[in-house]
Amino acid sequence: MEPAVEIQNLTKVFRPQMGGRPVKAVDKVSITIAPGEVYGLIGPNGSGKSTTMKALLGLVAPSSGTCRIFGADSLAVDSRQDVGFLPENPYFYKHLTGAETLAFYGKLCGLRGRALKDRTTELLELVGLTDARDRHLGGYSKGMLQRIGLAQALIQEPRLAILDEPTAGVDPIGSRQIRDLILSLKERGITVFLCSHLLEQVQEVCDRVGIIFRGRMIREGRLDDLLAIEDQTEIILRDAPPDLLEEIAALVAARQGAELIRSGRPRTTLERLFLRETVERENP
Amino acid sequence: MSAATTTAYRPLNPRRILVLARHTFTQLVRMKVFYFLAVFAVVVIGANFLELPTDHLPENAGTEILYTVKNTSLGCMSIFSLVLAIVATGLLLPKDVEDRTLYTILAKPVPRLDYLIGKWLGVVALIFVSLMAMTLLMNLVLIPHTSKVMQLQIGAAEFAGANAETKAKIAEDVRALGPTWNLQAAVLVTFMRAMVLAAVALLLSTFSTSTLFTAIVGFLVLFIGFFQADAREIYFGQDSGLAGKAASGIMTVILPDLQIYNLIDAIVEGKVLKALDLLKVTGITAFYCVTYLFASWLVFARKEF
Repeated sequence: MEPAVEIQNLTKVFRPQMGGRPVKAVDKVSITIAPGEVYGLIGPNGSGKSTTMKALLGLVAPSSGTCRIFGADSLAVDSRQDVGFLPENPYFYKHLTGAETLAFYGKLCGLRGRALKDRTTELLELVGLTDARDRHLGGYSKGMLQRIGLAQALIQEPRLAILDEPTAGVDPIGSRQIRDLILSLKERGITVFLCSHLLEQVQEVCDRVGIIFRGRMIREGRLDDLLAIEDQTEIILRDAPPDLLEEIAALVAARQGAELIRSGRPRTTLERLFLRETVERENP
Repeated sequence: MSAATTTAYRPLNPRRILVLARHTFTQLVRMKVFYFLAVFAVVVIGANFLELPTDHLPENAGTEILYTVKNTSLGCMSIFSLVLAIVATGLLLPKDVEDRTLYTILAKPVPRLDYLIGKWLGVVALIFVSLMAMTLLMNLVLIPHTSKVMQLQIGAAEFAGANAETKAKIAEDVRALGPTWNLQAAVLVTFMRAMVLAAVALLLSTFSTSTLFTAIVGFLVLFIGFFQADAREIYFGQDSGLAGKAASGIMTVILPDLQIYNLIDAIVEGKVLKALDLLKVTGITAFYCVTYLFASWLVFARKEF
């Protein structure tokens, strides 16, 4: 099957206009993403994540290497019919309403008439902005802007969504909504290529991840494979009395080669606690 | 991908360009650019009460108000169209880059040439609509004044015992100072000059990163454009040889020669614009616009974001 994304030995060197030392932002990075997969690219600030995405969108030209989207060279305009892009901290046109924004991007992709209206309504519903469809984007919150951004990225029903920090600056509730949207894209068979600083969120939605550092891909693979600790086993018990725990500890101690490293109460995450105390309290 | 779909992604798709132009037009309208029209209305109506010093020969009686209204209106139109052409065009590209809206547009199947032409056409459409509104107001003010002046002069001629032929000549002369087709052509020439300046500002904004830089250099180009024909004459006079002529030609292409649009002043004076002159100005305008748009595309196509 043709890969959704095929980046081969991508290198990007930025040469300052006023002289100075060239900066190698991306160094021989290769990524292949299968159709329907959710791929997360993680790395610290300035590690080359955004440059890799921009090269894939033809916004920067590779110094060497190639980027292909469903087999088409990403520098060719044609390749973008299959791509939806949400940039980091997008502003969009404040003078347009939510519905006008989607109509504008839809028309750029060749949508017209009934098909455009239906698609606009469908996407506003998907991202939960039906009530705000006629409000100007100037009055949207950060989370709403991210969601309308996601909707515009999907307007032409692309097979690939590229999301650059989709939850940057969004509160945990908005962040959770965007996470759910990404999961719904996956269910629809849309390939997602995202980069994020929120590692927990990447862990929740991605099938595979790549770790990029100083422009180089230093680790890549299936999330389960990367996170599993080969020589450890986890047992989680509910309502276990103390004597049972003592018995288990004694059993392990009696067995040569095995070691009980830790036992105690597992902790929830701060995000889950926050959501339980806010959203779930409102909608039990 | 079907052949029809592939064709849609080729540059110069009229539908896509129209979408971008309409959007740019709406964007500028919602930035309340049309408030300038209210200022224009006040200025033109105020011009009714101004009296320019003119000689007071009987044959010129009352004509000063016609000159005042035409001068004031066309002056306002020139200022508005040139400022809008430079500032609005210079504002659009850096703003799209700063807000990252450009990323979302170019991440769609939109050729960069279509984006540039769409932006330029949006500004040009706004200037056109504004000039049309101003022209309408100018004509509405000129029509009653022209008939009043005509009545005044024909009355004076009758008092002096002038024959029918003389009265017809007076009527024709006064009509030439009113809302003639010639005057509408002057507005058209004003519009064409603004089109060229908008194309220059677009070219500047493809490599500048700030609106201020584009505006300053744009106004510098405008200033040079008004005097460059004289400068060419001084540096590369008629005896400058082939090299001088080539240098003069290059200078004319790099910096637009705006003296060709000076025929607006002659029209205000009541002189008739020849069709050939209008055709020549139209041709030169088309040449400048295509050249600057092409140069903009050459820069913008290689630009990285």
